Amino acid sequence: MTPATWLALVAAVLWTTACVAWLRRRAGRASGDAGRRFFRHPMATPGLAVLVFFATIALAAPLLAPYPPRLQLDIVQLQNLPPSWLHPFGTDLYSRDVWSRLVYGARVSLGIGTLGMLLAVTLGALVGATAGYFRRSVDAVLMRLVDVGLAVPRIFVVLVVIALWDRLAVLPLVLLLGCTGWFPTSRLVRAEVLSLRERPFTDAARALGAGPWRVIFRHVLPNAAAPLIVSTALGIGNMMLLEAALSFLGVGVQPPRPSWGNMIADGREQLATALWTSLFPGLAIAVVVMALNAVGDGARDALDPRRETA
Amino acid sequence: MTAWLLRRLAAALAIVFAVVTLCFAVIHLAPGTPFLPGQDRPMDPAVVERLRSRFGLDQPLPVQYARYLGALAHGDLGESFSQRRPVADAIAGALPNTLLLTGTALAIDFLLGVVIGVVQAARARRRLDMALTNATLFFYSLPTFWLGLVLLLVFGQWLHWFPVGGVTDLILYDSMPLGLRLLDRLRHLALPALTLGLVGAAGTARYQRAALLEALGEDYARTARAKGLAEPRVLVDHALRNALLPIVTLLGVALPFLLTGAVVVETVFTWPGLGKLAADAIAGRDYPLVIATTLLSSVLVVLGSLLADLLTAAADPRVRLRA
Amino acid sequence: MLTALLRTAGRRSAVVIAALSLGFTACTRRGGCRGEYCGAVVIAGIGQPTSLLPPVTDQSLDRDIYDQIFLKLADVGPNGNTIGEAGFEPQLARSWEWSDPLTLTFHLDPRARWQDGPPVSAADVAFSFDAYTDTVINSPYSAGLRHIASVTATDSLSVTFRFRDRYPEMFYDAVYQMRVLPAHLLQSVPRDQWSTTAFGRAPVGNGPYRFVRWQPGESIELAADSTFFLGRPHIRRLVWRVVSDIPTAVTQLVAGEVDALQVLITPPNIERARAVDHLTLYPYAGTAYGFLGFNLRANGDPGRPHPIFADPDVRRALIFATDRERMVQSVFAGAAKLPPAPISQVWSWLWFPDLPVPPYDTAQAGRLLERRGWRDTDGDGIRDRHGQKLAFRVAAPTTSAVRMQYATLLQEQLRQVGVEVQIEGMDPAALQERMRAGQFDAALESWVTDPTPSSGMPQLWRRGGSSNFGRYDNPVFDRQVDQAAKAATQQQATAAWRAALQTLAQDAPAMVLYALDNVAAIDRRVADVRIRPDSWAALIRTWRIPPDRLTERDRLGR
Repeated sequence: MTPATWLALVAAVLWTTACVAWLRRRAGRASGDAGRRFFRHPMATPGLAVLVFFATIALAAPLLAPYPPRLQLDIVQLQNLPPSWLHPFGTDLYSRDVWSRLVYGARVSLGIGTLGMLLAVTLGALVGATAGYFRRSVDAVLMRLVDVGLAVPRIFVVLVVIALWDRLAVLPLVLLLGCTGWFPTSRLVRAEVLSLRERPFTDAARALGAGPWRVIFRHVLPNAAAPLIVSTALGIGNMMLLEAALSFLGVGVQPPRPSWGNMIADGREQLATALWTSLFPGLAIAVVVMALNAVGDGARDALDPRRETA
Repeated sequence: MTAWLLRRLAAALAIVFAVVTLCFAVIHLAPGTPFLPGQDRPMDPAVVERLRSRFGLDQPLPVQYARYLGALAHGDLGESFSQRRPVADAIAGALPNTLLLTGTALAIDFLLGVVIGVVQAARARRRLDMALTNATLFFYSLPTFWLGLVLLLVFGQWLHWFPVGGVTDLILYDSMPLGLRLLDRLRHLALPALTLGLVGAAGTARYQRAALLEALGEDYARTARAKGLAEPRVLVDHALRNALLPIVTLLGVALPFLLTGAVVVETVFTWPGLGKLAADAIAGRDYPLVIATTLLSSVLVVLGSLLADLLTAAADPRVRLRA
Repeated sequence: MLTALLRTAGRRSAVVIAALSLGFTACTRRGGCRGEYCGAVVIAGIGQPTSLLPPVTDQSLDRDIYDQIFLKLADVGPNGNTIGEAGFEPQLARSWEWSDPLTLTFHLDPRARWQDGPPVSAADVAFSFDAYTDTVINSPYSAGLRHIASVTATDSLSVTFRFRDRYPEMFYDAVYQMRVLPAHLLQSVPRDQWSTTAFGRAPVGNGPYRFVRWQPGESIELAADSTFFLGRPHIRRLVWRVVSDIPTAVTQLVAGEVDALQVLITPPNIERARAVDHLTLYPYAGTAYGFLGFNLRANGDPGRPHPIFADPDVRRALIFATDRERMVQSVFAGAAKLPPAPISQVWSWLWFPDLPVPPYDTAQAGRLLERRGWRDTDGDGIRDRHGQKLAFRVAAPTTSAVRMQYATLLQEQLRQVGVEVQIEGMDPAALQERMRAGQFDAALESWVTDPTPSSGMPQLWRRGGSSNFGRYDNPVFDRQVDQAAKAATQQQATAAWRAALQTLAQDAPAMVLYALDNVAAIDRRVADVRIRPDSWAALIRTWRIPPDRLTERDRLGR
């Protein structure tokens, strides 16, 4: 770590605290009870802080990483070094700085998780809203499809596709993860839409001459936002875990591009001699997914006051 | 009741059929002809043509579909490239191991999860509850394979409490008496099942805690308290019974999760089950094997959710009456 | 559960139950095997065995196992000599003689029997030769048998080999490559089904060990044949345990779950093995070496030249661009050396220091690439020419941690000179199939050498060689190799091989990477361990476990 990167790290921490403090203050003032309820949840604030921090370091990766993630510093002298001031998380088998790879890996892992989940939520919301609004045959067909989708364990579908089309680049991987992950969301949205469609505001919109799609997008879906937000937060965590498992098996993100999953795979053989190469990426995944779950729990409490779980 | 049962069975069959058709579609979308047996040596084009007609790959699609269904009905899932034997044999060998692993993990998942959830509800919002909430949150968020690696390192390599892989001891097992055989199997099963079970238990505990707290706030709980029952009895005799019901539906969700986790856990612990078969098949580009494991795991999931529905119906009269 | 059982059954019955269970466990401790012919050795097998039918597989793991089941006519002696007949030890053949310079007759030992009963006959030998040279079976060993014109059985125990020409290693070729197969069991199997036939998964042989069972993905078990005519093997049971890679094998070795591992390879593994007190380390001359093989024909289309690798200057440029000395240091930390040609440490007489191999010089690499028209015209950091990027895939087996490590190191070094490398890891069997079919750009290959270069070198580099996957084709080299194989004295051979290796260095059909030192680790209780460098498992039947060192595992079993 160079002095510049230490400074950048401190700056990132300060920026995170500032953001979280600002969000708390805003929640107290505006947006009514939901914000306050969210922050009352015990793990919500640390969770949010962790997410903001990791998002920051992912976005500001070039500033925080002293070395490029692929650079092999000195394959004879600097292999497998334990953590030190120069290399806070040590170096790996190829003499690459683990901290730099972790920081750039955040981009990949968080990016894939977020984008994949956004795609899944979009698809799921579309399908669920359509099924819930139009009901009858449309609903039956779509929900059978969802049943089939839920029956096949996700990792197998992904493995089949990867086996047949050889290794996938990052963008096709995101598309694949998104297209296989929308089934639970669609069920959720469908349930919400089914109840919402009987409400007066829907009738009113229809009476005013709004077509079915307009009703869905401008009136029904915005009111179904609450469970969507919660499941998105939790779903990003699942996406990240799935990507990590795939990269660990060697079929996810391809090296040398670092992802937290393939960093664990790289370090697997030296668990006994160079534990830090696998330990830190694993902890990073655990911490981020924990934070996502905590934020999801908090959001659930905040947006659905009937469920008093904290 | 029987009408409901028949309807559920029909739905389950329909799903399996849809998965089978999906697999068939995927086979034919694949580039090249990866399902031609004996593709390991560069072959004479005439020989390739002969094999194509023998396996009916030049027939129209509906005919191929009918043959595919027929083959499946006979248990013929094709030839595995990497293992050079029928896929059905490979799967028959691996399936019991996966069932054992996921069954044990499921047991750990539910037993541990329910107990922790109950303890948390009993001590709600006090220190133990807070500590357990953080603990379950942590385990729920761990990558399963990472937990497996750590457990393997600590308990297998450092402490030597458990063996580092396999199902049984290669040499001694056959000559062991029944008691020691059981012990040997348990020792080999412990770490992989624990890995899968712990992560699942964390999720179940969170769910159980929420369900119990909700049940404790319900009217019947208030009535029980008003009648003078002590809180523990209210919890166990009244709230728990009602809060256990949603847990049974969790079975339907737990199985896909466990099968997904089995793929990595079996790889880490060299446990010769379906998951490891799938992971090895991918490395060997063994398409028939990959497709077959997908098919079989889907069937397991459908069976599992069917079982969960049956249990729910048996336990919850509302379901039966509604149906 | 036990306490519940005791409570319900009452105290007296509890005593009975306890006594019975003690009796059960005690029963097996008494008795069991105690003498000279006991012992069970678990060997770590890296990767998945594919078949135990000798002609169809060239994986060294398969060969280690089937070597215990099938015999050759005669085998190389401990000094590894391959010229003439000096040192060769009789196996299936009891004696032999030359009736003329091109005709060799073997007389089989009448005591030799197949494990299902019938005696081994000369007809089996003739059948085996026919199978090994059959074009449908396409055995990788057929190239080594090309100098033999015919093999005929003259009577039930005598078989005659007729050669096409005279050269010093005739006897070696006749005996080393071929295992004798049971005609009565394999005759009826159609030739195109030999690679998948059930016999390959349940072989019947004539060797010191008999096949017991194969649990796919787990283990293969062999049992000693007590009636083996050359002497009963001391170790009663051999079990190969399937392990996915060397580090996992070392873990199991250190934990005592596996008794023997053929190579430790890296110093960390060697340290781990040395640190426990129940292992003995056996260094032996290294026969393994590795290189990056280039495919000189187009990927998947052998009719066209490869757009990148067909040009020898580009190949040499890639070698200029890599610091192979430091890579050997990084990966092996002294447990391997950088050879001047694709040869192992065993052939030390071929390590000529003055071969024209490109040294590490990135500037020269850049200049050479520029001169051949590879420039970065679109600014993306990768060179290109006529629209073709200087990008290719390197295939490597996932079971070899060493080669996967090399792949990553090469990737980064080549990126510095504007070459993009994509790593493709796969199952070793899948890799072999791809290479055989020519469906690769470059592959990290590792080979184990025979005692003599005259069988291995042509196999890999001669036109039409069965393992010449890159389709390197140079008539000058072919002539030089043929001359070297015919050399009558060591001096002539050295000079001839020098010429051949010089051609190879100039043409650079591969980037030579390493030649291993070998260290095997075997449990301390196993005595009389002899390891022959060319085939470490060849002498397992002479190992023994002294009766006073038998463990419970050795004593148990049938």
